[in-house]
Amino acid sequence: MALDGRLRDAGLRSERLLWPTKGPSRFEEEVDDLERRVGLTTLQKAVAWAQTNSMWPDTFGLACCAIEMMSIVSSRYDIARFGMEPFRGSPRQADLLIVSGRVSNKMAAPLRQIYDQMLEPKWVIAMGACASSGGMFNNYAIVQSVDKIVAVDIYVPGCPPRPEQLMEGIIRLHEAVRAGVPPAYEIRSVAS
Amino acid sequence: MSLQDIPGLVDVREAHDETTVVVEPSRLTEACTYLRDEEGFNFLSDISAADYLGWGKAGVSGYIGTTAGRDLNTPMTQGYQALPQSKPRRFAMNYHLLQISERPRRLRVQTWLDDGQPVPTVVGIWPTADWHEREAWDLMGIPVEGHPNLKRILMDDDWEGHPLRKDYPIGGEPVRFSGEE
Amino acid sequence: MAVAARARSGAPIYEGSRIPSPTPTVLRTPPDLEATGDILTVNFGPNHPSTHGVLRLIVDLYGEDVTGLEAVIGYLHTGFEKNMEQKTWWKAITYPERIDYVSFQNNELVFVLAIEKLLGLEPPPKAQWMRTCLCELNRLHSHLVWLGTSALELGAISMFWYAFRERDQILDLFEMVCGTRMHTRYFQTGGLAEDIPRGFFPEARKFCEWMPKAVDDYETLLSRNKIWLERTQGLGLLSAADAVALGQSGPVLRASGVNWDLRQNEPYLAYHQVDFRVPVYRAGDVYARFRVHMDEMRESVRIVEQCLDRLEAMENEPWIADDRKVVLPPRHELHTSMESLIHHFKIVTEGYRVPEGEVYVAVESPRGELGCYVVSDGGPKPWRVKFRAPSFVALEATATCMSDALIADMIAIVGSLDTVMGEVDR
Repeated sequence: MALDGRLRDAGLRSERLLWPTKGPSRFEEEVDDLERRVGLTTLQKAVAWAQTNSMWPDTFGLACCAIEMMSIVSSRYDIARFGMEPFRGSPRQADLLIVSGRVSNKMAAPLRQIYDQMLEPKWVIAMGACASSGGMFNNYAIVQSVDKIVAVDIYVPGCPPRPEQLMEGIIRLHEAVRAGVPPAYEIRSVAS
Repeated sequence: MSLQDIPGLVDVREAHDETTVVVEPSRLTEACTYLRDEEGFNFLSDISAADYLGWGKAGVSGYIGTTAGRDLNTPMTQGYQALPQSKPRRFAMNYHLLQISERPRRLRVQTWLDDGQPVPTVVGIWPTADWHEREAWDLMGIPVEGHPNLKRILMDDDWEGHPLRKDYPIGGEPVRFSGEE
Repeated sequence: MAVAARARSGAPIYEGSRIPSPTPTVLRTPPDLEATGDILTVNFGPNHPSTHGVLRLIVDLYGEDVTGLEAVIGYLHTGFEKNMEQKTWWKAITYPERIDYVSFQNNELVFVLAIEKLLGLEPPPKAQWMRTCLCELNRLHSHLVWLGTSALELGAISMFWYAFRERDQILDLFEMVCGTRMHTRYFQTGGLAEDIPRGFFPEARKFCEWMPKAVDDYETLLSRNKIWLERTQGLGLLSAADAVALGQSGPVLRASGVNWDLRQNEPYLAYHQVDFRVPVYRAGDVYARFRVHMDEMRESVRIVEQCLDRLEAMENEPWIADDRKVVLPPRHELHTSMESLIHHFKIVTEGYRVPEGEVYVAVESPRGELGCYVVSDGGPKPWRVKFRAPSFVALEATATCMSDALIADMIAIVGSLDTVMGEVDR
């Protein structure tokens, strides 16, 4: 929770302007008391806190990276500590699309449909070398990087990336969201 | 092994402990029925199609496929020391058969086809051939006569071309720094 | 088995068969049901909550009965075979692993065995035993992933966490030996890429002691669980004759009563020197496939223990063959021997040449008969590589297994066929 400090430090002074030697008023004392029990922050930071602490991924496991994505849900690399273990089946209920695996040309259209069905704000992690750049498959069948189809926030390299690597990518995404970075579709368009 | 009685037999070869039987494509159904019923090959493992366009062209090793055929003089390939044996026609369809029994036997049935020449279906003999033949049609462009559902299976329904042919380019994007293209 | 006339729709492919006709892989709604107008066509699209990957099923429903089924695949088609034709034999070994990405070392193994068969190269015994050991650990890994995900889909959600706990232990063992958890690229033409670290053996023994108790835990959770039994017994029936006609292999075939396992009937690697049982069940339903998987897990642990016994005694032996035309010479020789330097140079730049020929090699992957058909033209690159994927063939049996099934059973049945879409689409 981002606490901005006490109102008093921010300059709440009320009657003191008229009466310099007066101590804190009843109102100020109550506000101090309240601040000890309730956090105060900006709306943006509060919303970002809520978004990052329960960013639910969509089940979009395609290939080998999907197996490592499943293992971040397992007890050793527990992603539930970050609020992300309910993988939603429906894209309408999901915030995060982890494209894990190679995207073939036939799958490109369903991928875009799933992405379009997600409600904003939505983030995309391109997991693995195949989603980030086509990987070792530079051929007729594989889309050379998923950012030709959707706007990607974080690229996680690896073939497949270890669960810790994927979690590092997820945590960096959380930090970016908390710092106020807008989701990728607002700042990037898809590659041509 | 009475392989000499197979209808449409052209040749029998043995190499690497494997027996390959070459048959005429027009008599393939009879040959396969004979092999299943008389010889006991009740299991079809695999149907593999192979394209031999550009096989054994002198001075070429490895292959880079372009629309004009094989690309010669690509860096990092050197010539053959011995030319490979020439092949009768462009396409080969290989049927890998297995006899599931106490003493298992494996056999490869091979037919040679020209471009566009159809091969009769063996779905009536081994139902598992369904998807294998569709794949041969999709990726190699070998038409299968009598197949109940000959559609593209791995590529998009409206894809043009047959990707695994030797004159179909590998595709993808050019990469700036690479030893081979 | 007599063959009925092909073109008549509705006639069985052979007497007593449940395989749909005329297309063996497509279940079609009978015309009288179609005429009622009550058929609902549902698309289980390529992205769905089950963990099988990108399989699309177009299902016709009459109420809860599945009357029509068609599987559409190709959403993960990667063009492996074409890519492998572009690379030298050495570099091409990296590709097959990603085909069946759950039992990756079996894929590597089949390709490397095919190259060795064409070369006529025999790896040393230490390599054979270690390959056997790793392939059996990989079988355990694959069955654990199958068990975790299948149980998860049927609602036994906690199985997922237990199965993945053991799976992480196996991946730790792989990381210890091969350097990475998945897609290990440890098998080389002629043997193994590197020697086996000594620390592997005590850790593997600890795992082998723990694993049977873990399998007991899974059985406690599932094998006599009333809900599990209701959801798996009597479903997805596949008779032995149908299974053979449809080309099934592996656990699906053994659960239909056919005693066929390549490790036992056509042994490769060190399987003829290892003592293990092959579980065969007759029921042909989902529960029988489950039991085959569980029993195979126990047998795999026994095989791994036997391999470890042999390997510990082979500490100073070579792990790769000695043929310098194919195998890189040890680095210390490059300082002293001119021939070694030249061999090293030729192998790294051009790649070794494999003599002209064609071979078909089959191994018993956790899903069934994984075959590799390789054609070589005598050069440093493969001419044609084709993988016979057991999951591709297993999906052909979906229509047969799903005749007279309910929609709720579809998940159980498709899950029990143990398909990995990477293999199906290649």
